[in-house]
Amino acid sequence: MASDSLPARQSRSVVRSFLLTLPIAVWALLMASAAYGHANRAQWIASVVTVLFMITLFFMMMRTSSTYRWRRWFFVALGLLFPVGFIHQVMVFRGTMGIPIEEMIAGRTPFCFLPIPLLILPAAFTKALVFPGSILPNGGMSGGGMAAMAGIWLAITLVVGKGWCSYACFFGGIEEGMASLPAKAKIRKIDSRWRYGPWAVLLAMVLLSLALFEPAYCMWLCPFKAVSEYVAARNTIGLIQNGIFIVLFGGLVIVLPLLTKKRTQCAFFCPFGAFQSIFNKTSVFEIKIDKSRCTPCVLCQKSCPTMALTDESIQQGGTLMSCMKCGACVDACPKGAAVWHIRGTDVAVKPERARLMFLYAAWAMSIMFAGGIIAEGLATILHVFI
Amino acid sequence: MAKLKSKLGYTGAAFTLVIAALAPFLVYPQLSKGFAHLGLHIDEIYAGGPKVRTIQAAGYTIDIRDQVNPHMFQTEKPFVQLDWKPARSLPAHISDAVDIDGDGKPDVKVSFDVPHDPKTPLRVNVDSLNPRYESMQDVGKKKFSALIVRVDDAILVRIPVKQ
Repeated sequence: MASDSLPARQSRSVVRSFLLTLPIAVWALLMASAAYGHANRAQWIASVVTVLFMITLFFMMMRTSSTYRWRRWFFVALGLLFPVGFIHQVMVFRGTMGIPIEEMIAGRTPFCFLPIPLLILPAAFTKALVFPGSILPNGGMSGGGMAAMAGIWLAITLVVGKGWCSYACFFGGIEEGMASLPAKAKIRKIDSRWRYGPWAVLLAMVLLSLALFEPAYCMWLCPFKAVSEYVAARNTIGLIQNGIFIVLFGGLVIVLPLLTKKRTQCAFFCPFGAFQSIFNKTSVFEIKIDKSRCTPCVLCQKSCPTMALTDESIQQGGTLMSCMKCGACVDACPKGAAVWHIRGTDVAVKPERARLMFLYAAWAMSIMFAGGIIAEGLATILHVFI
Repeated sequence: MAKLKSKLGYTGAAFTLVIAALAPFLVYPQLSKGFAHLGLHIDEIYAGGPKVRTIQAAGYTIDIRDQVNPHMFQTEKPFVQLDWKPARSLPAHISDAVDIDGDGKPDVKVSFDVPHDPKTPLRVNVDSLNPRYESMQDVGKKKFSALIVRVDDAILVRIPVKQ
């Protein structure tokens, strides 16, 4: 058993780490050259910095055999720089973060991945997408249109399953950053039933979206409206909606992560996260607990940002389906019992091979999708100085 | 059996890596194209109904769109949308009697001012000449089913239809 498994945090040589990083370096350069063919100076510098940032983090993952702490730098950067680039674009295009009704009618509301599960049932019954965007690019803030976002979401989901929430989601980084600030959690005891929160919100929002034929989550509950764009407050209802967005953002994305050191919005609220959990069943990569090595000290359980490990799941040698493959438990386990795993293979046989295969796939997707977002946010800041 | 499962697992992992490598060049573009060809459309509450007729006026046209009916418990009323375009060729004041249903008799009289600055808020008065359509007095952009807005080079008026 565990023939060439790397005990936690055993470091590789610089040369070997460099060689293992080479494919990712080539990929990053390829993606950057495709995205920034006609870049201005600020975009070019931002692109170079992003490429170096992503390559360095991957190198450190290879060198230290630690995943979570390096991935977190990327993820927090993504979470912080997405609003910078997005809000700047919104202000340039329409001069306000509020979505005017004209832009909705014109089909120029930018489409993010969060409403995807809410659109399925209305589309299945009527072939209508209940979102004021456009299927194909339509100028303004429509970006590549809904088809582009659906395509990229499907492609990344095929590769990493619920890993989307750790390697592609441009919202989760803010709360991960907040959760990493305090040394210790002030609230340690969290009722495990809160884990069903995302499923409850998903069910409620899917039914409400079908009944009202509107993207109910975007209209009423999305905390990230506070840092992207919101319903223009034309009346009292609009004011109430915006109030809800701000309260949810402040509570779930800022205050509770600081108090609990958990990604509380993701763990207890996000309906897209619950929906994405289904795709963990289609992914070959997963996290397993090698019961022969597990003491159990439950450090993995404590370190999990979304409470995807329970006493029962550890006893059964795995995580819950809400695991987003961030690698926190693997890094935290002092016995090397929490391991990366390829479905069908024996647990803890060549876990580093499983980790490498997953990380190549996941990091390639991060560079392809999130790299551009980081570079855009960085370029927006650089424009101020250059 | 365990060996076969293990081989299948590694094959799946290798296949995943291939998908990742092809994602930006083949997988993502093909999936996007596939989505675009599903035959889906944006809900008409947002996009308006399909155009059914065009009325030619002096120097501009009025497109009449099909009635949009809300689904399920959608909070909007049924409405018809009329598009005055091109907005840049419209006179300073519009006052048109429009035959919406094509029976030769005017159904509504629509009047609004066309400001020079496209950012100036619009207000519309609609006098119902047919009880099927609701009157509107000094309406801006209250609801999706009762509004006047400028979208690109057209001024759109949505008139609620009585249920």
